[in-house]
Formats: sequence, structure tokens, C-alpha cells
Amino acid sequence: MTLFDRVFGGNDYNYNRTVAAIDAAIATYGESESVAFPDTAYSLPCYYGITGNKISTLGEMKAAMDVIKGMMTRNPRLQDAFDSGVASALCAEFLEALKYLHGAQPYAEPEMGFLTDAFVRNLGVPLVTGDIPGVAVIIGGAEDPAETVELAKSYQAQGMLVTVTGEGIRHLADAGMKTGEGVRVCPLGYEMQSVIHVVSVAVRAALIFGNVTPGDYKTLYKYTMDRVRAFVNAYKPLSDEIVSYGAGAICLGFPVISNETENMFRVPKSLIQQLDTTKWNATSLEARDIKLKITKIDIPVSYATAFEGEIIRRGDMQVEVDGSRVDCFELVATKDASEVEDHKITVIGPEIDEIPVGSKISLSYTVEVAGKAMQTDFESVMERKFHAYLNCIEGVMHTGQRDMIRIRISKADFEAGFKFRHLGEVLYAKIKSEFEAVVDKCQVTIVVDAEQNKALRAAANEVFSKRDDRLKSMTDESVPVYYTCIMCQAFSPSHVCIVTPERLGLCGAVSWLDAKATKELDPEGPCQIVPKERCVDEALGRYDDVDEAIQKYSHGALERVTLYSLFEDPMTSCGCFECICGVEPCSMGVVITSREHAGMTPLGMSFSDMASMTGGGVQTPGFMGHGKQFIFSKKFIAAEGGPGRIVWMPKDLKDQVRERLDATALELYGVENFTDMIADETVCTEDPEELLAYLSEVGHPVLGMEPFDM
Amino acid sequence: MKDWAFTTTVEEMEAATNSLLETAQKVGADTWQQRVKNQTPHCGFGEAGTCCRICSMGPCRITPKSPRGICGCDVHGIVARNYLRFTVGGTAAHSDHGREIMHTLHQTKEGGNYTVKDPEKLIRIAKEWGVETEGKDIYDLAHEMAEIGLLEYGFPFGTQKFAKRAPQHTQELWDKAGITPRAIDREIATAMHMTHMGCSSLSEALIRQSLRAGLSDGWGGSMMGTEFSDVMFGTPKPIDTEANIGVMEKENVNIVVHGHDPSLSEMIVYYANDPEMIAYAKSMGAKGITVSGVCCTSNEVTMRHGIPMAGNFLNQENVVLTGACEAIVVDVQCIFPALGPLSKCFHTKFITTSPIARMPDSEFIQFSAETAGDNAKAIVKMAIENFVNRNQDLVNIPSQKQKARVGYSVEAIKKVLDGVANSQVDEFGTTKPLIECVHSGVLRGAVAMVGCNNPKVRPDSAHIGLMKKLLENDIILIVTGCSAQAAAKAGLMDPEKAKEYCGAGLKRVCELAGIPPVLHMGSCVDISRMMVLASDIAKDWGINISQVPVVGCAPEWMSEKAVSIGNYVVATGIETFLGVDPYSKGSSEVTELLQGEHGINEWVEAKFVVDTDIESLGDKMIACIEAKRAALGI
Repeated sequence: MTLFDRVFGGNDYNYNRTVAAIDAAIATYGESESVAFPDTAYSLPCYYGITGNKISTLGEMKAAMDVIKGMMTRNPRLQDAFDSGVASALCAEFLEALKYLHGAQPYAEPEMGFLTDAFVRNLGVPLVTGDIPGVAVIIGGAEDPAETVELAKSYQAQGMLVTVTGEGIRHLADAGMKTGEGVRVCPLGYEMQSVIHVVSVAVRAALIFGNVTPGDYKTLYKYTMDRVRAFVNAYKPLSDEIVSYGAGAICLGFPVISNETENMFRVPKSLIQQLDTTKWNATSLEARDIKLKITKIDIPVSYATAFEGEIIRRGDMQVEVDGSRVDCFELVATKDASEVEDHKITVIGPEIDEIPVGSKISLSYTVEVAGKAMQTDFESVMERKFHAYLNCIEGVMHTGQRDMIRIRISKADFEAGFKFRHLGEVLYAKIKSEFEAVVDKCQVTIVVDAEQNKALRAAANEVFSKRDDRLKSMTDESVPVYYTCIMCQAFSPSHVCIVTPERLGLCGAVSWLDAKATKELDPEGPCQIVPKERCVDEALGRYDDVDEAIQKYSHGALERVTLYSLFEDPMTSCGCFECICGVEPCSMGVVITSREHAGMTPLGMSFSDMASMTGGGVQTPGFMGHGKQFIFSKKFIAAEGGPGRIVWMPKDLKDQVRERLDATALELYGVENFTDMIADETVCTEDPEELLAYLSEVGHPVLGMEPFDM
Repeated sequence: MKDWAFTTTVEEMEAATNSLLETAQKVGADTWQQRVKNQTPHCGFGEAGTCCRICSMGPCRITPKSPRGICGCDVHGIVARNYLRFTVGGTAAHSDHGREIMHTLHQTKEGGNYTVKDPEKLIRIAKEWGVETEGKDIYDLAHEMAEIGLLEYGFPFGTQKFAKRAPQHTQELWDKAGITPRAIDREIATAMHMTHMGCSSLSEALIRQSLRAGLSDGWGGSMMGTEFSDVMFGTPKPIDTEANIGVMEKENVNIVVHGHDPSLSEMIVYYANDPEMIAYAKSMGAKGITVSGVCCTSNEVTMRHGIPMAGNFLNQENVVLTGACEAIVVDVQCIFPALGPLSKCFHTKFITTSPIARMPDSEFIQFSAETAGDNAKAIVKMAIENFVNRNQDLVNIPSQKQKARVGYSVEAIKKVLDGVANSQVDEFGTTKPLIECVHSGVLRGAVAMVGCNNPKVRPDSAHIGLMKKLLENDIILIVTGCSAQAAAKAGLMDPEKAKEYCGAGLKRVCELAGIPPVLHMGSCVDISRMMVLASDIAKDWGINISQVPVVGCAPEWMSEKAVSIGNYVVATGIETFLGVDPYSKGSSEVTELLQGEHGINEWVEAKFVVDTDIESLGDKMIACIEAKRAALGI
């Protein structure tokens, strides 16, 4: 039997059982029964992405089987095998969608089933930055369950997103391995067809970040091949069904690595037989051209971005550094080269093994750096990275910043020999590797002594308040230049952010200082200087310089943008924005919602729905992606009246921005407690009338503003 | 059928040629288009191969009423004799080219006109030939190898050294059929002797000798020509260039090299890049110097230096008709004597350089390895000084050109394949990744397309039409000679665009390997590279060459060399498809021997397929490839 015959066979099998399943469902619920995956604006994303058609009822799904049948040609050519592989995958998507019929919740932990739009969007930044270097799709399980666990862990340790389908899920669960989005190991489902849920992520990445038009399958396949660094590891035995999915995966550009030899073929860089499954990791990385950012850090536990979202529960905790109760802080300080001894890690006070289990302790760490190109402005840039640096340690959880930090170190780490000085090792290694252009020498001092920390904290706070003064004085008007950020172009090829002091990158990760530091660290890199000499319209934030930069760095895709307007050439989004705002026409205000908020807004749209209106470098007047910190900027839609236009936000988001937003509103409008005037989901969800009633009741300033000039 | 929107079509190329023919009319020049009309219809006896003028009793022409010549030879003997003589004409030409290269190798020296640019390859071949290399000066080794190589032409005993490169099974077939090639000159002499009046008239024996003579070319003279050209001028590796008449530049001094032997053109290219010469050209009012090529000399220098290809065989008059050609410099083979009178209609210098190819109305500058540098410099200078003589009113360079990535020697192809191998699984330096593509069905197979242009076929239409058809069917093309230039002119070697119209399998292979779907393997002597590649594939796969889903094709062939090539390609086990009949249709016996199931097919496991309907020829190739696949169960 040829390879193509196996693909065709698997496709036929899937097609026939899908037809039967749809017929059975129609017999039970009728053709008008609605079909949908939860929390997505992309219908059945694979079918929608590939054909451009949304399916919302069983009847439509049945009709769509004719489209799928049309793809199932049988010439002995790769095109036919590709099309049949995709057809088989679409059948899998339909079978999975049927599980969600009638409000069913078909998956329970550890199985995750369908992955939401929010999941996809959360992947945006780390995929772009290479923090997630690739996506490992594990199918089935090894003969020895421990080997499956080893494989998943090896990818996890490299920061990959790992999905597991089939028997492997049981292997991971039996070994007690933590799974879920937070640790980037995602069991999809025990049935093979559930692998479609990771394909669906790749397809939506193309739609969301790549602005691929649904139905333009050629561009879609090119996007996934060029930009989504996924690959498949399939344990034998491989059924025809799996082989047909493999053809679909290869069509999208994802190589398949397997130890199956029975009736199996090899295709360079696409279908690779690796019988030594312990080499799958290296084989896969080479096959998919994945280069890892290597940070070799001398600590007794794993270090990978995959651990960034790991939660350490109270019961698992060895000690806790708790800045809310005792004196703690983290600080970067610039020193002269003579004052710094490179790679000196000092721990003053007791080490972790001298402290009783479960203690809440006072701890501070000061990272002193020296370098010819070092600027004090970079101190806060480095400091903001500590959160990510320390979180990537397996079994360590870090939250907060400055003197409000909390660090939990797990019992497992303690047993593995983790010491406080290892925190220093991590900080040292990361600062030296990521800031090598500006940091020549670096030393870390960790103080575990309540008395000393009290004094040190007071001194640190003086540094912080000086920095705050500097930041406050740093406005769009006061700085000489802005910066571009095109870090996302690996993923969203025509998007350009213009980063100013009062408008940080829409992902929330790149402030003006970050951009400045990035330019210093990598002169030819993603952040380039944008002069601001030729202002055309100050209120709109329109500059000829900015337009020229936009044209150049979007490679001609965009003509111009304004910095402060929601309607006139609003700034574009890559798709990985933290928040999105959209016009609410009844109140002439704007609604903001965040990625974390799954519910509806008074626009009758969820975050996913609104986000699907823009992203991928497209300008959609009236909708704009942005960072959370932009909400309390005086420049937030300044051309349309500023943050006083905000009429609705999710409650959680309100709480996150309240303090700063109230201060801004007081300054701009003389209004106290402005955040309270903003409606949230406890006031109204979808009804604009309720929203208007609330705004009138609280006397929201938007009611006194001019209507939008739309 | 896909639209291949970006390619330059045969119609567009013809339109460009027509605009040049207008100039020809203006200056009263004679062109091949006109001469074809004058020569049509062709002699029916000649076309059928049934005219014998080997002795002075004739000429004898065979008809149903006069079925035998005066000596009593029947039509089968006459057709087979003609076929053999046709073959060895090509064997002689190719092999003499190879001999020249060996003589040049003998002249190499440190800092000389000719040096050893690929010492590793020289050492590799020396080891293959059992020559001691340890501690030997590279030039001593080069001279020793040259002498050994030259002996391949005339040693009294034994067979060709390079024939040992063939898979064991192939060598056994050759031995069994009695066609393992002996000394090259001997095979040619034997052929001439056999076909002398009163010698062989048994068609089977004459065809057998045709194969043996062909093998002495492909696995002897041509292979030496290729391999030692690589030693002296560098083994080709992928390089980007352009093709079609638009590569000539109006503001520059245009020197066109034409012919087959790279020894001269290498030197011309060198001096055309000499700052002193460029300055001289500027002083004469030109912006610079453009060297471009026609025919296989062009293929040689494009493979190694990315020198642009102005055109193929039937474009040789076009380059002069642009009115912007300061000099057309030729060496040997495929040069129209028409270039002499044609050049007189323009300011163009027609410079012949080889005692092998002397022509009226040319300036003869005898080129030799000892004086190569001075010769080349004098030629470049002459061209520069001729720039001022251009008649601007006659200048017309059609703007057609396409991008091409060329330079796919066997070594380069293996390097490309290494690029898609996985170091965790695969061994490097083999053809296995290619085999895997074919075995899995991602590629259906390969076609080695070669050969000339021939006015009997609408120029380039068969090459380009067949290539497009094959590419759409996931069949990769490996090409040489004027076929390669047809592909390049059309845009089929464009590394970015050409893959878009291929079948999904070939497209993916091109994307992953970074190659165009049509691989330029060099000049016509470089068909020897194809033999090496086919052998390596068969060995790496563990099957016979004849089982590999690969076929050869010469859809527009015209020269004796092409027949010599056809013989060795078939004799190597590769089914060969011809779009022009090899003057053999007058004999049912010879036709059966060459094309039937029970002729050479039983000796070498391959045969010729002749079909002048190009569409049908393409269908037959695809069917042959699919049949080989089916036989392998893949």
C-alpha cells in the first residue's frame, strides 16, 4: 500500500463516520440545532479558515460535508493527499464540534478539548519573542509511559507549547505531571481526532495575527508553514486515520516524526522515521528549524518559560517572601565598574535550609550592574523583567514588583537543593545574556535579614520615587523621539507599533524606555528611532515622521496612523493586545474589554468578537487594541476627548487601573472617583439602555461631551 | 493546465525574434528561418536513413522497387550503418572536447593561465583511478592524471576507467552485451571500419557498436570533459543569473561566447572583469562590459560564474541581429557558418579560435593553452575598440529576460539534499533524501531533459511545454544544454516563482530545499553528470538504474552528439524519449532494435521512444514513470 493510499483510507474512514455522526445528531436535535465551540469568534475555526464559511447549525454542517467530499480527490499526487488530509482534519473538527452540542461540556480535566481564542491570543507575544520556540504535538504514548513524560518534559523545559492526544495523557496524569495552560502542557483529548484542537490554534493564529482572509487557504498554509513552528511526534502504531491527519499537518508545514516502520514512508523534513524515541526532541527541532535561546543556568531545578504560569499552592510551599507583610524589595542599581565584581552572588543572613518550613520571611535582592553603555533609565527596564526571570524557575512563583513582591519557593525545589543564592544565579545569568550590550559586570546581593531590609527598603523607595518623578516628567512632548516596535512582524507581518512615553506598545510589554533600551541593545533590531520633528496635527498626534516610519516598516501596507485618535487612522494591532476598545454609539463613549474577560460587552460582542474586527495590522476606525496602561494615559483617545469617554470595563480591569485612572480623570476633568462612574458587568452586560441609565445616574462626564465625529 | 503567468512564452520569444528579423530584412541578412524554407521539403531518403553514399558505386537509395544497394546491402544494413556513423560523429566531437580539456589540464601550473581550482576533486578522482596522491604536488598530480586520462583515448587493452562508476548490475549488462567501452578512439575507428564498404551490414551488430561508441563518450570522453573542467574551473554550485536576449546591455560592450569548450570563455570572463579592461571600455564610451553566452559555452560559464545566458542554439543569429554585439567569440560545435556573412551586415566581429572550427568571414585567433591569457585579452580589447563602430540605428535588444538559479552539479545536488537531511537520522552526502521523495510519491520521478533546438520543432516549444506538464505532475527536471537554456529563458529556473505552478509535491520539495524545480546541470558534455547521478541513486536505493522512475528526453535534438548521447543514456538503462526521428524509420529492423521490446531493451533494460507529437511524448514519459513506480510497488 502506498503512502497516499493510507491517507485516502484514513480520510474515507473519517468522512463516513462524520456523515453518520451528523445524521445521528440531526435525528436527535434537528437540522436547526446550533453548532459552536465555546469562546471563539471563529465558528469552527479550521473549516472557517480554510473555506471562509461559518457553520452555525447541524444543517449547515451536513451541507458542508459536500464541500469536504469535493476535496477528497484520489489522483496519486501529493496535492490529493494534502487535500484529503485536510478533509480528514475537517471531519475531525466536525466530530469534535458535535460533542459540544446542546450545551454539553464534553471535556473534564486533564483533557482540555477546544482551546479558546483567549488561549490563542495569549500565545501571541511569547511565540513572537521566541519565548515559546515551538509547538510540540504529541500523539499517542510510548510503550514505557515514563518515556512519554520525559518527552513532554523535555519540550516543556525548552519552553515549548506541548499538546498531547491519546494515551500519552494518561501517562502524564499517572505520573502526576501538572498540565494545563499555565505550564504549557495541554492534554487535548483521549480520542485521536481531538488533535484538531491544536490545528485550530494554528489556523486562528493565521487569522488573528496574520490577517489571513478566511477562505484564502493558500495564504493560510503559507502562514502556518512559515510562522507557526509546530511539529508532530506520533508514537506507533499509526492508524490510517492518524496518517491522514499527518498529511493535513504536513500540508500546513508541520513535520511528523514517528517510530512507526510498518507500512510507512519517509519524506525529508516532513515525515521522519526516528526509531530512537529518546532523540525525538533533537530530531524534531532540527526538522522544524527551531533554534533555542540557550540560557544555561547553574541551578538544581529546571528553568524554562513554560514554568512562567506555574502556581505554587500554600501547601506546597517551603518558604514565602511576602512584601505585603514584611520588608522586601527588588532593585537594580547602576554602579561604577570598580564597585562590581562580576558574578559575585552574596547571601547575607540565613540560607533556606536554616529557616523553618512554611515561614514568611523578609528578603531583598539588589542587582548591581556596571557597563560603559549602561544608563540609569534601563534600571527599571531590567527590574520589570525579574518577574519573568524568576517565574521561569520550576517550583518558584513570583508576583508583584519593587517593594511589593511575593515569592514562593516550593518544597520540591527545597528537596532538590534549591537555595536563595540560586535566585541570584538566575538573575545574574539572565541579565548578562539579555542585556549583554549594556551590562559588562553584574553582582547580586540577597539579604535575608528583617533589620537590614528595613533600612535598605527605605533607601530603595527613595530610588523608586526618584524614578517615578522622572517617569512623570516623561511625556510625549518632553522626549525628543519615539520608537517603532516591529517585534511582532514575525507573526503579523504588516503591523507596526509607535511607542511613546504615554502610549506603550499594545501588548503591554514594551514601554518607551523598553524600546529605547532595545534600540541600544540591538541597533538594527525591532525598535528604531522615529523622529517627531514634523508635526501635522498635535491633537490627533499626526506626524509626517511617524507616517514615513509606518510606511517603511509596514512595507507599504499602511499609509499613516495617528497617535491619539480612535477614528482617524487609528494605530493598528498585531493581535496580541491586552485590551480592545470600541465605540458605544448610544452613549457616544467607548467600551473597553480585556483578554481575560470572556463575557459580553454592551456592544453585544465579546473580546474575541471585537478582537476579530481588527488585528493583523488592519486599521478599523472605531476599534483599537491597546495595553492596559494606556487606559489611564492622558493621551488615550485624546483626539476624541480622552479617557473620560470610557463608559464600560470589566470589573477586574477597573480594579487594576482604578488608582491611576482616577488621578488622570481628576486632572483632566476635575472628576473624583471616575472609575466608579464606569459601568461593568455587574451593572449591565449587553443592554445599552441599562448602560445609559447608569451613566445618567452617576453623572458620567461623557454625557457632557460632543458626539463623536464619525 | 495552469497558466504559468510569470513565464516568458514561446509566442513572446517569437515576437522578440520577429522584431530582430525585421532588422535582418533591413540589412539584407540571411537567417535560418529563411534557409529552412529554402531547404524544405527535405530529402525523404535522407530522413528515412535509406540513402547510402559510403562508396562511389552509388549513391544508392532504397525503394520498394530497388530493395538493395549495388553491393547487395539491404535497407536495414544501410540505415544501421548511417545510424552508427551519425553516432560516432557525436562521439568524436564530445570526446575530442574532453581530450582538449585533458591537454589543458596538462598545461596547468601554479599562477599560470590555468590552475587547479578544485584540488579535492582531483584527488578524489585520482584515488578512484588508483593513482597515489600522498605527498604529491597538486600540479604533478594534475599532469599525471592528464596523461592517464589521455590514454583513455588510445590504450591498447582494457575498458574505460569511469565505466567502473556504474552500478555492478549495469556493468554486468554491458559485459554481457559486449558493449563495455574500450579506448575512445578505438570505438570511433571500429565504427568507421565496420561501416566501410564491404564490412558490417548486420543491423544488430551495428547498433551494438553504436551503444558501445556512445558509452565511450558518456562514460569516457564527456565524463572526462566534465570532471576535469570542474578540477580546473571549479565544481559548479548554485548561483543566480539571468537568461534570454535581454541580458545584453545597450550601454555596454557586449561580448557573446558561443560553442562548447570552457577553456577560452573562462579566460574571456576573467579579462572582461579586469578593472583595466573595464576602464578601457569606459574610455571608449561604454558603461562597462557584458559577457553573455549562447549554447554550451554559455552553460559552462553560467554554471561556474553566473554569466547570463543570451540564448540557445537557434538564438545564435539573434545576438548579432541586436546590432549591439561587439564580438561573438566561438570555439567548437554547433556554430552556424552563417555567422560569418551575418556579422558582415553589422559591426560585429566574428572571432573563431579553434583549428577544429574554421569558417569563412571570420577573424581567426588561434587559441592555445600556453597563450590563453594573451589571446583572451586581445579578444576583449578588440571588442571594446569595436564599440564605437556600432550603428545605433540598428540597435534593438528585446527586453525579455528571466531570473535563474543554476549550478547543480552532482556535488551541489548532494549538498542541497544534505540541507534537508536530519542529522539525527540520516547520513550525509547521499541521494537518499531524493530517493525518499520519490519512494513516498511526493515526487513521481525525474526527467533528464537535454538536447538542442531543431527547426523541425517550433523552437523551445517542446522543451518548455513538456517541462510545464511534467512539473505539474510532480516530476522534477534535471536539464542540460539548450534544453536548460530554454527553461531558463522561460523562467522555469526562477527560484522563487517557478515552484508556484508545480504540483504540490514538487513545490514543497523546492520550498524545503530552496531549489528551482528545473535543475541546470550544465552543458551537453555534462550529461555525464546525469549518468553519475543515476548511478548513485540506483546504488543508494539498492535497485537497478532501469528500475528508478527516471527517463531521458531530447525533444528538439538535432546534432550527431545528441545521438551519441542518446545511445549512452539508453545503454545506461534509462528509457529515452525523442521528439525528432533519428533517421532510422526506413528500417523496420533498426526501429525494432532501437524502440521495440526485444531489441536493445533486452540488452540494457531500456529503449528509445520516438514520438513527434509532443503532447503524446509527454504522456508516454509520465506513463513510463508511473509504470516503473507500479513495478516497484510504490
